[in-house]
Amino acid sequence: MSTFCTFVNAYTLTSALGNGLAALRESLRDDRACLDDAGWHDCDVHCYVGRVDLPDEIHVPPARESRINRLVELGLKQDGFDEAVRRATEEFGAARCALALGTSTSGIDRTEAAYRELDGAGRFPSRFRQPTVHNPHAPADFAAERLGLKGPAMTVSAACASSAKVFATAKRWLMQGVADAVVVGGVDSLCLSVIQGFHSLQLVSPEPCRPFAANRSGISLGEAAGFALLTREADAGSPRLLGVGESCDAYHMSSAPDDGAGARLAMERALADAALDVADVEYINLHGTGTRANDDIEGRVCADFQTKNTLASATKGWTGHALGAAGMVEAALCLDALVTGLVPGTRNTVDADAPFDLLLDNVERPIRTALTNSFGFGGSNCTVVFGR
Amino acid sequence: MKFAIRGVGLWTRGLTSYDAFASAAREGVADLADVAFAPPRPSSIPPRERRRAGLLINLAVEVAHQACDHAAVDRSSIASVFASSMGDTAITDYMCRKLAGRDRLLSPAKFTNSVHNAASGYWSISAGCRAPSTFVGGFDASFGLGLLETASQASACGEPVLLVAYDMANEPPLDDVRHVAETFGVALVVDAAAADDSGHLLNGDIRFVAEAAEPPIPLTKGLDALASGNPMGAALALLERCAGRGASDHHALRIPAAAQGCVELRFPRSVE
Repeated sequence: MSTFCTFVNAYTLTSALGNGLAALRESLRDDRACLDDAGWHDCDVHCYVGRVDLPDEIHVPPARESRINRLVELGLKQDGFDEAVRRATEEFGAARCALALGTSTSGIDRTEAAYRELDGAGRFPSRFRQPTVHNPHAPADFAAERLGLKGPAMTVSAACASSAKVFATAKRWLMQGVADAVVVGGVDSLCLSVIQGFHSLQLVSPEPCRPFAANRSGISLGEAAGFALLTREADAGSPRLLGVGESCDAYHMSSAPDDGAGARLAMERALADAALDVADVEYINLHGTGTRANDDIEGRVCADFQTKNTLASATKGWTGHALGAAGMVEAALCLDALVTGLVPGTRNTVDADAPFDLLLDNVERPIRTALTNSFGFGGSNCTVVFGR
Repeated sequence: MKFAIRGVGLWTRGLTSYDAFASAAREGVADLADVAFAPPRPSSIPPRERRRAGLLINLAVEVAHQACDHAAVDRSSIASVFASSMGDTAITDYMCRKLAGRDRLLSPAKFTNSVHNAASGYWSISAGCRAPSTFVGGFDASFGLGLLETASQASACGEPVLLVAYDMANEPPLDDVRHVAETFGVALVVDAAAADDSGHLLNGDIRFVAEAAEPPIPLTKGLDALASGNPMGAALALLERCAGRGASDHHALRIPAAAQGCVELRFPRSVE
């Protein structure tokens, strides 16, 4: 696989950093605080979240109505992404254009709302009877229709590794000729399930999350919609997908082994797939959730993948942890760092407690390779490497 | 892409192994009318995890083990693809009811199991397997997409890959929105290499075709309720081919893999 080349023809990100890449760059340069504590519906957990500014005028058809699909709609409009996909469908034909989308929440925010409004017979009111929304495939199904894609359209849902793993699928599909262009992406929406769920595990931080800080206090949840268009050929200068590595911990549903063996395996497999050595990696975007356990374990593993030329930061202090979209959020941050030379620091963290050199403040430095880690429940690990 | 099926696992109402299914398919009739569903209890799940595993996780792990045993592959090194149209609707119902009520403190174990790759996690722990594992969803196209993704992975890595596809019967109110009447899990060990004619049940080519297709209807009498009552009923005609039963004048099967697309499986010769 390592000799096979995959180009990132276009990419975009909508997250707490802003809608589209220009807003993202501005937020980074201005060192803007992106997490807020305005709450989520009538959630009873005090926490900060990475919220997308979702304008009221962003609409989807009634059968698709849900925050997740409105995030898809908003995200596709940024940076001319839907136009780039339209050009690909014209060039290759819609039947040769596929989609692999990562999500963990899918339409659950809408399902929660339907359960709050059950009628006297315990049934969904008619406006909530939306078969394509109340299932894991909601945003992928909508995105494929919205973009007019007629190739395979698949959801990958592997918790917080979901939208990192879509890059592996896309690479295989391009290599095997299943498609000529693959839209990959990650979309998750804030919802009570994840805030109350992580609260039940006592992992939600009462303050903006501080990855790898000595006084870190847990995660801040987030939401996002990000996309990339992958093809076998592209304009000169387009960033490239170099490799992907996947593994399972085979250890525990919600905690990783102390030695981080599964995480290490994913990183090693990604470098092997990219035909790179540890010394070739110039930037590592860590999973860095801000929990005691993740940052301890990932930090020990990361120390073995850092050389004196490797910058390493964790960016969930900017975006919050967008769960199923986190892989795509951090892929987009890696791609933008490759393109602009602006490498994001570890926002909110002042005193680092890490066995490697953690980049605290943004730095301007041209980089040629960037690697990002995503680890999820179920012991699912995925590392993606990009280059230019 | 080339594909070969080397092993099958299966569990539903009245049919709890591939052997039972294959016998019924060869006889042309499965008498399931009055048979109740018996939940599987796979013993391979370690005790700590077993206490927390619900029906759908047990179903997936059971059929995964059956297929690996049938294919005689090493379960500790095989990559896997899990596929479901609806995921664990018992957990969805629990979470949403709880969150709509006054006491919203969720069970940590149930929240952990609410991720769609929960069965993949329990499987990897049970099998001691660190190979890549994923979960795919595709609404009505979930089985076809799962099969495409599995064949694609097998082709890329040159090793067998396990597909585990399952859905559970829904309860109201979700069942009013999406009716799933039957609980059904099926697992296939898929290999890209079929260099010789030995060691596999079925081989052929698989490709995506951008034309809508209806799920293929099984020939075996008595399987209608299962075929129409579970999204993975789309697998039944393929399982019949594995058992050596299929229409002699049809060398291809089309299985939905998108709203307007399908995977087309072509077999080298008549199987009957």
